Amino acid sequence: MTGNGLTTTSLTLGYRERVVIRELSIAVPDQRVTSILGPNGCGKSTFLKALARLIAPASGQVRLSGDDIGKIDTRTLARRLSILPQSPKAPEGITVSDLVRRGRTPWRGLLAPWSEEDASICAQALQQVGLSDLAERPIDELSGGQRQRAWIALVLAQNTPYLLLDEPTTWLDLAHQLEVLSLLQKRNRDHGTTVVTVLHDLNLAVRFSDHLFLFGANGLVAEGTPEEVITPDNLQAAFGLRALVMPDPLTGRPMIVPY
Amino acid sequence: MSGEGSARKIVGGWLLLGGLLAAAILLSLMVGQIMITPAELLRGLMTGAGPGSLTLRVLRGPSTLTAVGAGAVLGASGAIFQILLRNPLAAPDVMGFMSGAGCAVVAGVAFGLFIPLPILAAIGGLVAALLVAGLAFHRSGRQSPLTLILVGIGIGFFASAVSSFLVLRMPPQEAADAQRWLAGSLTARNWGHVLQVFGLGALLFVVLALQVRAMALLELGDELAAGLGAHVERARYGLICTGVLLAAVGVAVAGPVPFVAMMAGPLGMRIAGVRHPASRLTAAAIAGATITVLAEVISRSAIPGLQLPVGVMTGIMGAPYLLWLLWKEVEAGEL
Amino acid sequence: MKAVVGLALLLFIAMALTLVVGVRDAGISDLWNAFFAFDANDPTHAVIRSVRVPRLVAGLIAGAGLGMAGTVMQAVTRNPLADPGLLGVNAGAAFAVVVGALLTGYADSGMMAALAFPGAAIASVAVFLVGGARSGAGSPVRLTLAGVAINALLLSLVSAIILSRNETLEIFRFWVTGSLAQANTRPLEAMFVALVLGAAIAVIIAPRIEALALGSSLARGLGTKPGAVQLCALLAIMLMTGAAVAVAGPIAFVGLVVPPLARRIGRHVLRHELAVSAVLGGSMMLLADTAGRLVVAPAEIRVGIMTALVGAPVFIFVVRRLRPGALT
Repeated sequence: MTGNGLTTTSLTLGYRERVVIRELSIAVPDQRVTSILGPNGCGKSTFLKALARLIAPASGQVRLSGDDIGKIDTRTLARRLSILPQSPKAPEGITVSDLVRRGRTPWRGLLAPWSEEDASICAQALQQVGLSDLAERPIDELSGGQRQRAWIALVLAQNTPYLLLDEPTTWLDLAHQLEVLSLLQKRNRDHGTTVVTVLHDLNLAVRFSDHLFLFGANGLVAEGTPEEVITPDNLQAAFGLRALVMPDPLTGRPMIVPY
Repeated sequence: MSGEGSARKIVGGWLLLGGLLAAAILLSLMVGQIMITPAELLRGLMTGAGPGSLTLRVLRGPSTLTAVGAGAVLGASGAIFQILLRNPLAAPDVMGFMSGAGCAVVAGVAFGLFIPLPILAAIGGLVAALLVAGLAFHRSGRQSPLTLILVGIGIGFFASAVSSFLVLRMPPQEAADAQRWLAGSLTARNWGHVLQVFGLGALLFVVLALQVRAMALLELGDELAAGLGAHVERARYGLICTGVLLAAVGVAVAGPVPFVAMMAGPLGMRIAGVRHPASRLTAAAIAGATITVLAEVISRSAIPGLQLPVGVMTGIMGAPYLLWLLWKEVEAGEL
Repeated sequence: MKAVVGLALLLFIAMALTLVVGVRDAGISDLWNAFFAFDANDPTHAVIRSVRVPRLVAGLIAGAGLGMAGTVMQAVTRNPLADPGLLGVNAGAAFAVVVGALLTGYADSGMMAALAFPGAAIASVAVFLVGGARSGAGSPVRLTLAGVAINALLLSLVSAIILSRNETLEIFRFWVTGSLAQANTRPLEAMFVALVLGAAIAVIIAPRIEALALGSSLARGLGTKPGAVQLCALLAIMLMTGAAVAVAGPIAFVGLVVPPLARRIGRHVLRHELAVSAVLGGSMMLLADTAGRLVVAPAEIRVGIMTALVGAPVFIFVVRRLRPGALT
């Protein structure tokens, strides 16, 4: 379980009596879109936060290219891996471009001025999320979908090979959910960025992910490609959900119809 | 589209803010029992003679400059806490840090300790901050900024009561002086005060400048800040220390002047029309200086022949602002 | 029953200490003689009758008034941080008296003290308006901060006025922190009447206030008019606070410390709570005053500082016990 990419070795998360993840050793496939699924309270958010070193493991390690991320210098880690927490709160009155510029912080020396490169990476990030025209608008004035795209632009400007997002589609309507997920998929295809998201909607996860981790109340139920993971038995084990699984007429991937 | 226009607007905002400070300083130098014209001031500055020179060197210059320095450090200190706690009510005066600093200074004097005032003030401010953080701590681990603010108000009450208590231990004349100082006073400041507030203030501003980038990340929330490479806890404690020390420098020369720290941040931000923490802190410092200089000149010239403590004036200016703020938040359904 | 005896004992001790302790220590026999075998030539007798008895009466009026006013305010606002001192009602009363003296040029005692009532009323209305009481129960934070602001504003103005008139430091201290040292110059009889009137109103409307605490729609269902009850409560607060300030200046924290204890002892029956808070408030005021005279004798610490030394930690304690949800 060592070697390349983002891996965990005997990772245990939680505190005292309440252990949410126990002795988990997995590898996140490089340059793929991976989704973490599971019912509420199964520890999928906690797991994502541990991958990003936002919480320290009770035991075990998270490794990035073989190095324990607990031992990597904070700024070095921020140049390799970015995380967008769930429903972040913007400072009052901040503009989209100012927000996105802050994504460049790990790349700038203490007294280094704002460089051409920084500017072009920010412009590119804004363009990728389709907010170039709204760059000078205060973020409070944007719609929910636009706001979420602005936050994604911030982590895109961080320009890391690993991009972790905690429920990036919460509070969005279906059209905006699709928009955000295709944006992430495009980033993965164009830049080879490894994308890991926690998602609520199973069908959307299946549609946009190359790899799935399915958690149940007692830890990991299954992992693999959507076809491998999404089976009636696994859904029953993870969610206690009785469902039909049939191929999606549009993509041919599995589609879940609960009954 | 708006890039050019907003840049021009921001330059305009800074000019306005600077202009207001310059006007306040000029006013403070001119107005008093004897009016001194700008021409006389200029002549005094150039030649070092005449009534203008006396005003600049002895009568009003030192007090005015002390007011500038004290207002600037208090304003910056207020903005630090307002940005960190994302709440316009979070300021060292509202949260009792300044009363704590004032209490320590009075204690030092009452017990005859030969410790320089800024050090006493810093100790008092830090102790108050520790008490606020410790007492507001909740088992759940999450502290609401409002709990911090309310506990801070309580600490302020206590520190003020202890100060009043200690004042009574002093001989009558000293006690009267201490009482005035506790209300916030800029009377009879000398060049030593000016040097002190600008020297220590400049040092702390350099320290603050080094922390600004981390502050811009903390503004985005702890998790995102950590993801962007900030040492969240270390950065926060560093900023709190800088904020408390800035307030202590102000208290050491001017007493615990109320409301300057609270008013300066939002006022500066609004006038200059800026957002980024670096700009907000700068604007807050300039606005704080302006408010304090104005309060100083009004407090000594509003009632002829009488010198009111400057704190009485900032109280009269600041309290309506606080009420307006609360009123607005009630309307907005926030808070 | 045990509680009644305890309270009576507490009050008795507080009153006895007030009369006995001082620069000139009086014994029990002096005390007895001062009342029942008065000797005009005995300086101890003179001190007891002309200084300490007024001080005792002023302390009881102020303490009982602030304690009961605090209990009514907390019941009406359902805010455990409500206190006439902290919410600026005291400052409003003080401000009105000082302004009245400034405008008319008369000294502040006697007639002028009556201005304390409208002053208290206006300040209470202002603080409740800004504190958002009109939109249901005002949040403790908003109400407290509105009080802090109004207090700061009014006391700054009071300071400015008194300093501009070159009054003595004693007068300044009386009107800014409150003190019982001027008790013999204050209009005690009139203020006692006002206090009794206010207390009577509070006792009469107490059941209505309790109904109101269940929420205004339920209170309406129980046959209560919320507006009328609030108006009566305001009247009671105004009379009791105004009386307290007129005799002792703007003393804070008594109305904060007393009500939670009164709730315990009075077992959440508002009428009982009112009676208990009158006794507790009076005792607290007298004990604080006596302590203030003992600690730095022969100098004395104003009673307002003593109540703040006790009250500020209680304030923090109450804040800590507020549920985080209750703050917003």
